Amino acid sequence: MMRRMTIVTAFGMAVSLAGLPVWAQNEFGSKELIAAAEKEGQLTYYTANFAETEQEVIKEFNKRFPKVKVSMVRAPGGQLITRIKTEAAAGKLAADVVDHSDRGLMKELEDLFQDYAPPNAADYRPDALVSPKFWPGVTLGWAIAYNTAIVKNPPKTWMDLTKPEYKGKLIGQVVAPSGGTTWTRSMFERQVLGEDYWKKQAELGIALYPSGAPLSDALVRGEVSIAPLLYNIIYTKIVDGAPAEAIFAPEGVPIIPYADGIPKTAKNPNAAKLFMNWRLSKEGQAFQIAKLGNITSLKDPPAFPKGWDPKVVKVWVPNFEQFEKLRTPWIEEWNKTYGYRQ
Amino acid sequence: MGYGRIANEKAAGATVGIGKGRSVLTATSAADLPISTAAARPPRRLAAPLWVLALLLLLTFLVIYPLLMLVFGALSDSNPVIDGFGKFKPSAKHFLEVLGNENVHLAFLNALAACGGGTILAVVIGLAFSWIVVRTNTPFRGFIAGASLIPLFVPPLVAGVAWGILGSPKTGLLNTALKWMNIDFRFNFYSMSGLIIVFGMYYAPYVYMFTASALKNMDPSLEEASEVAGASAFTTIFTVTFPLIAPAILAGSLLSFVVMLGIYGVPAALGAPANINVLTTYIFQLTAWSPPLYNTAAAVAILLMVVTAILVWAQQRILSGRSFATVAGKAFRPRSLNLGKWRWFTFSLAMTYLMIVVVLPTLALVIAAFRKFMFFKDFDALFDMRQYSWAHFNSVFDNPLTMLSIWNTLKVGVITAVIGGVLAFAIGYTVFRTQVAGRKSIDLLSTVPVAIPGLVVGVAYLWAWIGLPGGLYGTIWILALAFVARFIPDTVKALSTSFLQIHKELEEAAWICGRGLLGTIRTVVLPLARPGVVASMTLLFVLAIRELGSSLFLYTSDTTVMAVLLLDYYEGGNTGKTAAFSLVQTAILAVLLSFTTWLSRETTQSARFN
Repeated sequence: MMRRMTIVTAFGMAVSLAGLPVWAQNEFGSKELIAAAEKEGQLTYYTANFAETEQEVIKEFNKRFPKVKVSMVRAPGGQLITRIKTEAAAGKLAADVVDHSDRGLMKELEDLFQDYAPPNAADYRPDALVSPKFWPGVTLGWAIAYNTAIVKNPPKTWMDLTKPEYKGKLIGQVVAPSGGTTWTRSMFERQVLGEDYWKKQAELGIALYPSGAPLSDALVRGEVSIAPLLYNIIYTKIVDGAPAEAIFAPEGVPIIPYADGIPKTAKNPNAAKLFMNWRLSKEGQAFQIAKLGNITSLKDPPAFPKGWDPKVVKVWVPNFEQFEKLRTPWIEEWNKTYGYRQ
Repeated sequence: MGYGRIANEKAAGATVGIGKGRSVLTATSAADLPISTAAARPPRRLAAPLWVLALLLLLTFLVIYPLLMLVFGALSDSNPVIDGFGKFKPSAKHFLEVLGNENVHLAFLNALAACGGGTILAVVIGLAFSWIVVRTNTPFRGFIAGASLIPLFVPPLVAGVAWGILGSPKTGLLNTALKWMNIDFRFNFYSMSGLIIVFGMYYAPYVYMFTASALKNMDPSLEEASEVAGASAFTTIFTVTFPLIAPAILAGSLLSFVVMLGIYGVPAALGAPANINVLTTYIFQLTAWSPPLYNTAAAVAILLMVVTAILVWAQQRILSGRSFATVAGKAFRPRSLNLGKWRWFTFSLAMTYLMIVVVLPTLALVIAAFRKFMFFKDFDALFDMRQYSWAHFNSVFDNPLTMLSIWNTLKVGVITAVIGGVLAFAIGYTVFRTQVAGRKSIDLLSTVPVAIPGLVVGVAYLWAWIGLPGGLYGTIWILALAFVARFIPDTVKALSTSFLQIHKELEEAAWICGRGLLGTIRTVVLPLARPGVVASMTLLFVLAIRELGSSLFLYTSDTTVMAVLLLDYYEGGNTGKTAAFSLVQTAILAVLLSFTTWLSRETTQSARFN
C-alpha cells in the first residue's frame, strides 16, 4: 500500500508541476486541435488490451480533458481484428482509435488507417515502429514472476527457468500461438537464449495456459509457482498485496510495442488525435509505467518500473521482418516441443 | 418438434418447474389424448398460405440466411462481407483439413466422452430426482423440485470457475480441507472425470424436466398390475415404470447431450488447465488466435452441427412407429409410494445433491468474491478475516461498464422474451394446432438453431446482418434478434407442451359459438396456455441473460451486456472480480425469477377465473 502511495503521489506531483496550459498545448496538440476535439466531445476506442487497464487510461485522460468522452470496445486480439475487418468492409467501422497488440495483423490493415504522427514522434525508437500510421501507445514487457509464499529460491535469469529444481509443472507458460505478445517471447527465447532453450524447458514439464491473465491468477493462487508474465498483468496484483514478485532478467526484456492508429473513417478525428497524442505523450507514458506496469518505446523513458536498472536491463525488440517470416514455422515447432495441440 | 412429438406429449409440462407450479395440469386434464385430426380451418382461404409464407420468410431471415453465411465461410477462404459473394471460390480445403486434423479428432473424442459420460450421470441423477419428487412421499418434495432446477440458471462459465476454486488439484478448497483433516485423498476437477461430473450435475435438470412430467402423466394402473402379478416395487420400477417413460428419458438425455456439446464455459475453466480440448473450446481458440481462423472454425462448427443433426434424426427414428400411450381417457391420480423410514434416506440424498450443486459452489464464489487473493497457505488461512473485504464488489461497481451492462442486459432480455415469446406462440400454434401445408417446414426450420454452437452463431450473424441497410448493427435489437433466433427451439419446445395439452374440442366449441380464429386464440387458447407462455418467456429471458457466444461479436461500446463483461473479468485473470460479478448476476436472476414465478401464479389465478 505504501509503495503504491509513493508512486502515485510522486507521479501526481510530477503531473501537477508540469500541467501548465502552454506546455499542455505543445505536448498534446495545437489549441485548435484541442478546441475541435472538445467540440466533437467523444470518441470510440477499440482495444485488445485489458478492459480494466484501459479504463484507468481513459479516467486519467479525462482528468486532463474532461470534455472528451471515450467509449470502449474490448475484444481479444483475433476477434477484434475480425470485427474491424468486417465492419470496415460493410462501411460501418465505429472506431475512432484502434489499439492492438499484434503489429503484424495491423500492418495488413494499414490501408484502413489515416496518416498520423504525434507531436513527439521523433522521441520514439525507430525499431518500435512498423508503419508511419501506427504508434506504440502501449508498450508491454516480459518479466519473470513468482509466488513469494511458495518459492524459496526464486529464479534470477531466463536461463534459471531451465533448471531441474523447477521440475514438475512448477513453471507456467502462455502458449506461443496465443498472440503477438507470446510469439515475441518465444522468439526471444530461441534467438537470444539458445536454439535448445525450448527443449530444455519443456523437459521440466510446463503447465500451459491459453492467455496471460489466467496464468497470473494461477500464480497468485499457487497453482503454478513461477511464470514468465507481461509485467503489467502481475504488477497491479503485486501493488494490491498479492503474494507475488516479478523481476526483469539480465539477458533482456522482450518488449511488445502496440500498433495504434486512427481509421480513415473516424467520425471524431480530432478527439482521436488528441487521445492518441495524450497517450503517446510523456505524461501518458509516465502514467502507464507508474500506475499500470507498462514499459515504453520512448528512447528516453520518463520513468522506470520498480526493479528496472537501466544500466543492467536491456530491451529486446524483435526484428519485424523475422517476426512475420518465422512465425508460422517456429510456432509449429514450439507446439510440438511443448506438446501443445493447435 | 425435433425432439420427437411423442416425447413432447409425454413431457407434458417440461416447463413445470420454471415458475408456474402444477397449474398446467388443471387446465389440461384431457392431456395426451390423441390430437384431433379435424383440420383447423381458418375462416379465410388465402390467409393460411400467406401466414405460413410470412413465418417461413421470417425464419429464413433469422436462421437460414446466417446459416448459409456459415456454410459459405466453411467452404471458402473468404469472409463473405469483406470479399463479397462475387469472389466466392468454393474449396473443400478447410473441411478436408478439419477432417484430417488429429487435434480435431481428439477434441471430437473428448467432446463425445465428456458429454456422453455427463449425459449418463445426468440421466441417473435426473431420473432419481423425478422419481423421488413425483412418486414417493419424501418430505419437502415441492422444495426439492424447485431447488433441483437451480443449476439451469447458473451460467456455465460461473459453474466452471466455482468448481475450479473447489476442485483444483493443487489449491482447491476441497483439497485444502482434506489436507487439514489428514486425509490422503485429493480431488482433481481439472480432468475428464471432473468435466463429466460437473456436466452431469448441472444438466441433470434437463432429464428431470422431461421424466418428471412423464411420470406424473402416467397411469399407475400399469404399475399396480405389475405388483398384483407379484413383482416387487424395485422390479416394477425397472421393468414397467422406466421402460414406459423411455421416450421421455431419451428426449431428456438427448437434449442434455446436445446442450453439453455446445457449452464453452465448463470445459474452458476445467479442461484447459489439463490441456483437454473439446469442440467448443477448440472453436473458441480458432477464433481467438491471431490470426484468427474463422473459416476453419466454421468447418468445425458444421461438424458439430452434423453430429447433432444425426442424433436428433436417430431419436426420431427410434420413437416413430412405437406407441407409448399409457394414458387412457379416464382420470387418474399419480400414486405415490410410501417409503416409510426410507423417505428420510431419499430426502437426505436430495439434500446432498443440492448441497453439492448449489451450496458448495455458491460458497466458493462468495469466498472468492470477498477474499482479496485466493491463496491459502493452509485451511486455517480460510478463516483469516483480515483477508476479506468488499474490495472486489467496489471495483466492479466502480467500473462504469457494470451498470451499463446490467441495464442493457435487462433491455435485451425483455425485448428477446417478448419478440421470442410471440414468435414461438405463432410457430407453436401453427405447428401443433393446425393442419396447414408447410407447417412441417416451419417445425424443421425452428429446430435447426439448436445444433449451432453459440460462438459460431455470433460470427454468422455478424456476417449476415452487418450489411443490411438501416441501423440494425450496433443496436440492442441486433442482439435481441440473434437471441430470438438462437433460442427459438428451446422456446417453442417449452411452449409446445402447453399446446399439446389443450384439447381440440375446446377450440372447436369456440368456433361453433361463432368465434373467428383470432377470437378463439384470444379467448380460449391464450388464456389456457398462459402459464406455458409465461414460463417459456421466462426461460427465454434467462437464456438471453446468460448468452455469451453470440453477444461477443454483436455488442458495441453502448450495448455491452453482462455476459461479455463477465468474460472480460475472467479473461482479465481476476477470480475475485469474476466471482463478485457472478454473484451480482445470480442475484439479479434470482430476483427476476421470483418475480416471474409470482407473475405466473397471478396469471394462473386469472386464467382459472376466466
